[in-house]
Amino acid sequence: MNNTFAQIDHLASAGDSPWHRSSALTKLLLVLTYVTLAVVTPSWGVLVALLVTLIAMCVSARAPLRLMFAAAATPFLFALIFAAAHVSTDWDEPLVLFARPMVASLAAVWLVITTPYPDLFAPIARVTPRLVGDGLFLTYRAFFLLVNRADRMWTALKLRGGLTGRGLPRDFRSAGEGLGQLVIHSYDRSQRLYAIMHIRGHSGRVCGCRHWAEFSAFDLVPVLFGLAALALRFWMEGR
Amino acid sequence: MSHLHIPDGILPPALWIAGLVLTALGLAWSGPAAARGGPRLIAYQSALGGIMLAVMALPVPITAFDYCMTLAGPVGVLLGAAPMFQVSFVVTLILALLGQGGFTVVGLNTLVLGLGAMLARPVYLKSVRGLGPARAVALATATSQLVSTLGWVLVLLLSVRLTPDIAGEHEIARGLVRGIHGVGAAIVLAMLLAAVAIESLLGYGLARFLARVRPDLLPSPSATRGAAPGGPSLHEAHPSGRT
Repeated sequence: MNNTFAQIDHLASAGDSPWHRSSALTKLLLVLTYVTLAVVTPSWGVLVALLVTLIAMCVSARAPLRLMFAAAATPFLFALIFAAAHVSTDWDEPLVLFARPMVASLAAVWLVITTPYPDLFAPIARVTPRLVGDGLFLTYRAFFLLVNRADRMWTALKLRGGLTGRGLPRDFRSAGEGLGQLVIHSYDRSQRLYAIMHIRGHSGRVCGCRHWAEFSAFDLVPVLFGLAALALRFWMEGR
Repeated sequence: MSHLHIPDGILPPALWIAGLVLTALGLAWSGPAAARGGPRLIAYQSALGGIMLAVMALPVPITAFDYCMTLAGPVGVLLGAAPMFQVSFVVTLILALLGQGGFTVVGLNTLVLGLGAMLARPVYLKSVRGLGPARAVALATATSQLVSTLGWVLVLLLSVRLTPDIAGEHEIARGLVRGIHGVGAAIVLAMLLAAVAIESLLGYGLARFLARVRPDLLPSPSATRGAAPGGPSLHEAHPSGRT
């Protein structure tokens, strides 16, 4: 899955589709429109139309099929549990329960593969408390530095016989010690980061770049998609 | 896995709107408390948030199966309640942006993950004298995971209650529904309880290692009293000179 994260980051930074050239704010608003429509609509017809549109958007943004499938399948387990807990005699209700989270997940994937993370977090950081906004940037950065280390550590533990599979208590102890090393490394890392923040004159706010609200002609594409989705919803539910 | 993020579009609006409001209140409460720690605490919070994301993303290869954990309990012990709530929100939001969990349910997912983890440090501080650091972290992790599990089950029960259900029009249909509920509850509860046990054992191993190698990272009852969140180690230079 670390490869998935790296792949998402690469696609967002290196992609050159029209979606990549639209501003982060317009894309964020389009995703909010799609998610709101998916959550409020009782019509499976609208949901199918949104799903088809999102698949087309992901394909045109050159999203790998594996990533799209993973995004669509992630909410499946919870949806299944809820559908089982809320089983009813309506045939379309389970369909709606499965389609809604799939729309939201695909919309999220489309957003992150077309928007570099500084552009994506900058508008969010504007509406969240300052510490949370800073935390978004720093946590995402820390994740990439730590995930490869964690991956290497599990491999080393396996090769050195730390995770043999012969006894659960021993394996848990080894795995816990591995995690302890990760905590110590992250503590030392945070101290270095703190020193760097000081040296660079941290003013109490990590600033995202300012491209997130730079509009261009490419912004018309998400705007048109949003308006079309709204029109479709009112047309299909008004019949 | 020990965590199952609630996706969009499944829960009734009353529930996720309440979740968003409660999370906003939680963030407003935790903001000033976390801000007292300064940039050093923000850096530490973010590093531990990065670990949480990493262990959620990368399965621990234990025996025949790979297991995804949250590490919410041990991180809750290391950070304290207010910073932990903020970390829970940040981690949940990043996961929602990556298609795991949902946007509308960011509030509920934060509450499910964060409320349990916020209890971890108080439980640890109460029990560390009697049990020692490793067992105290295991107990704090178990408590944290259990509270999160209960919160998750509560969300599921409330959502079923708040959504009109037309099942049960016929006696056979009602029986079938009851059967599905019973089997489903048994499977889900067994999975969640296994997750509590596994997460606690890993927390035990982690704390045992920290207690041996870097005991200054674990909060001590006397040093934490009256101190800002984040543990004493955040406010003093490390004895080795590492800062």
